[in-house]
Amino acid sequence: MQTIKNTYKAIYYRLFQLDDRLLLIVAGSIAGICSGLAAVALRLSLESVTELLHPLRHYWWAFVLPAAGALLSSLYLEKISREGAGHGIPEVIYAVSRYGGLLRLRSSYSRLIASFLTISSGGSAGPEAPVVMSGSAIGSNIAKALGLNDRQRITLVGCGTAGAISAIFNAPIAGLVFTIEVLLGEWKFVNIIPIAIAAVAGAQVSQAIIPEQVLFNHQPFNMMVVDILPSLGLATLAALISVLFTKSLRKIGRIAKKSSLPLWGRVIVGGCAVGVIGGFMPLVLGEGYHFIQSMISGSFSMGLFMTFVAIFAKIFATGMTLGWGGSGGIFAPCLVIGSLTGVVFHKALSFLLPSIDIASEGAYALLGMTGLISGVMQAPLTGIFLIVEITGGYETILPLILVSSLSCTMSHYIEPASYYLKDLIERGQFMRPGTDARILSDLRLNELVEIDYIKVSENMVFRDFIEIIKSSKQNFFPVVEDETDIYKGVIQLSTIRRYALEPGMYDMVFLNQVMDEDVITASLEDDLQDVLDSMDLNNMDTIPVVENDRFIGMIAKTRVLDLYRRELIMQTNIQ
Amino acid sequence: MNYKLLHIFRNTPFGRETLLQSLYFCKTINAYPVVYIPKSDKFLLYFSNDAVQVDLDHSYLNAPETAKVHAEQLFEDMGIKPMFYEPKNYTASTLPDISTNFDYLCCPRSVSDLSSKIGLGHIGPKVRRIIKHATFPVLITSPVFKPWTSISVFFGGSENAMNALTLGLKLAMSSGLPLNIYTLTEKKGEEYYRELIRKNDLESLMDQYTVQWHFYGDKKFDTMLYEVPHNSLIVLGAYGHGIIKEILLGSKMEHIQSTVTNNLLITGPHCTISLQ
Repeated sequence: MQTIKNTYKAIYYRLFQLDDRLLLIVAGSIAGICSGLAAVALRLSLESVTELLHPLRHYWWAFVLPAAGALLSSLYLEKISREGAGHGIPEVIYAVSRYGGLLRLRSSYSRLIASFLTISSGGSAGPEAPVVMSGSAIGSNIAKALGLNDRQRITLVGCGTAGAISAIFNAPIAGLVFTIEVLLGEWKFVNIIPIAIAAVAGAQVSQAIIPEQVLFNHQPFNMMVVDILPSLGLATLAALISVLFTKSLRKIGRIAKKSSLPLWGRVIVGGCAVGVIGGFMPLVLGEGYHFIQSMISGSFSMGLFMTFVAIFAKIFATGMTLGWGGSGGIFAPCLVIGSLTGVVFHKALSFLLPSIDIASEGAYALLGMTGLISGVMQAPLTGIFLIVEITGGYETILPLILVSSLSCTMSHYIEPASYYLKDLIERGQFMRPGTDARILSDLRLNELVEIDYIKVSENMVFRDFIEIIKSSKQNFFPVVEDETDIYKGVIQLSTIRRYALEPGMYDMVFLNQVMDEDVITASLEDDLQDVLDSMDLNNMDTIPVVENDRFIGMIAKTRVLDLYRRELIMQTNIQ
Repeated sequence: MNYKLLHIFRNTPFGRETLLQSLYFCKTINAYPVVYIPKSDKFLLYFSNDAVQVDLDHSYLNAPETAKVHAEQLFEDMGIKPMFYEPKNYTASTLPDISTNFDYLCCPRSVSDLSSKIGLGHIGPKVRRIIKHATFPVLITSPVFKPWTSISVFFGGSENAMNALTLGLKLAMSSGLPLNIYTLTEKKGEEYYRELIRKNDLESLMDQYTVQWHFYGDKKFDTMLYEVPHNSLIVLGAYGHGIIKEILLGSKMEHIQSTVTNNLLITGPHCTISLQ
């Protein structure tokens, strides 16, 4: 038995421990396959239930269906899986940036079930963000089971995400790019290979189970040089709609939080509102891929005004679904709103300049989708690659790059944070590895405190203190109460020079007469950033740390710098 | 030293008993209790290799307007300065991250017990996960406030048991309370255990602080449990192994928890105890 154990350990060590790339590739592939399966399961379930419920949509009471689905979804999340609503991507980014990608096992299935209930009943949301959450949690838990470190775990979280995105869209490059650009925020060699393999694994799973799966049929788009100028206009419109969409979602969510209704009441109000809008304008219901297809193929029958109204209806319906308690993501709504924007722009241009010879409505729908994805997520590469892969529109790559980069830049100018990062930035919790905020948050005060300080009594006579100074290298001396050891103040050598130069005063002065009681102190619970700000404000390089009225030690900027450098090297010195 | 215990407060008569236990524990060992009054019925503990979500029942959100005052009263009665914990980070708006940078954690009772039981009840997988990943000992209190006047360490010779013994010595040193050690020798002799102590340089401390080292040769484990004084703090190490081993082999910790009515202080495999 012992021999088998030793052999296993030796093989494991040789294969995986010497160089963890092989381990990450193997584990990443597993994460990609598992998350791909989860994504395909959600896609198939959504398709079958949506089809099942379709005949019911003709009844007058069909407006309650989204409410019923959202209610079940929120009850499931609140009472059974005990997770908060929402799409989950900020949660994943938060876990990656703050806790080395640690995610709960329950997150690998809870959002899938909740979003299935919301979207299949007609809620205006997409299944992509829930599968990202699920894939990330799968990757994280595989890493946990293998006992991997933070860096390796983050890579596997990325693998799970890439597998999920590539499976749901059948788009491996988009999966890879989205993971690196949005989730991890760093292009590192050590991450890219396992994530790319996981993305391919996810796409293969998807193709193996649904061989005929094509999200959108390829159309000839024939974009020409003349389309460049209109593309600039469309990019501007897409950026404005992106900002409007982001702000509306947050605003509607805030209104819901302020309302005095209980959770179930909010969900019913939100769901019924979506149901009522959907009664008049069915494209706001569900993920809306069917309508995107009709826009791409040029068979979309709505007029200019109604298409324009549909943009706002979809934005409002998505806000009411997600902000008022439903579960799902904004990926699919972005695609719908984007394609509507493209169609509106094309129709308006054709109306104003009837003689202009530009590409088809479908081509502009494509550009609109890219513009929205790039604008809302502020992820231009994801926008480009996703649209190219899911539509096969490689001939539109040039205008796509133009629209994507311009929309992203303009929306970033108006709204500096993407929808996914806005909350995290506002809460001060967005910390990519290697950034100043992340390093400072990773350093704990108890690591920085130097405790080897000689304490002196407040009743000590100055002569005795002079003897202590002679044999010590300290520049600061904490002063404490005799019996209780309670911190009273600090003596800085620079401030007692005048007493030290007058030996006649040595027996007349006690330390409580010369100590500085007003020196700012820190507590071990304080954030390092706050402590450093406070040191800067008071122009001090060293301050005492006091906890429960007891002196713990001193914090010096030199020590902070030492550990800061060490942490920076550790976080950035990974290939 | 500046040891801190995190206590999750429940503003009910039952919760008052648990806070009294924590306050008494801290007062006895010269630690500082820090109270967290939950504002939502769940929170997350991020350990180095796991994120454990602790789901509280709704009694933890009971009468929030009086919770702080009630807690402060108990602090005052014990003569301890009140300290409260406010979460700084949130994984989701209703899911705060609670710091794991504490020296002790008083396990919220609703996670660890079925209140219908008179004894300590069922520990459950959630508490086992906390114990498995925590770098600090976990205090599981008896339902009703019960001051303890001695410390009892269950020492079986394993690495975790050695940790528990070190913790027991540390508590005895800081509290001045008598320390008793209980060992079920099974097939090994007493000398084997004494040798372990010598190897770990604990012999002199053992001589100084231990009142008695009880060895049980062929007696059953339950006999040993009965002989532990009812008003003693039991310190023991737990492996925190997985559910499969749990089902196959059973759990000593679970057995102790459901048999005795003492307060338990449990050290997990990632817990590092230093006598410094």
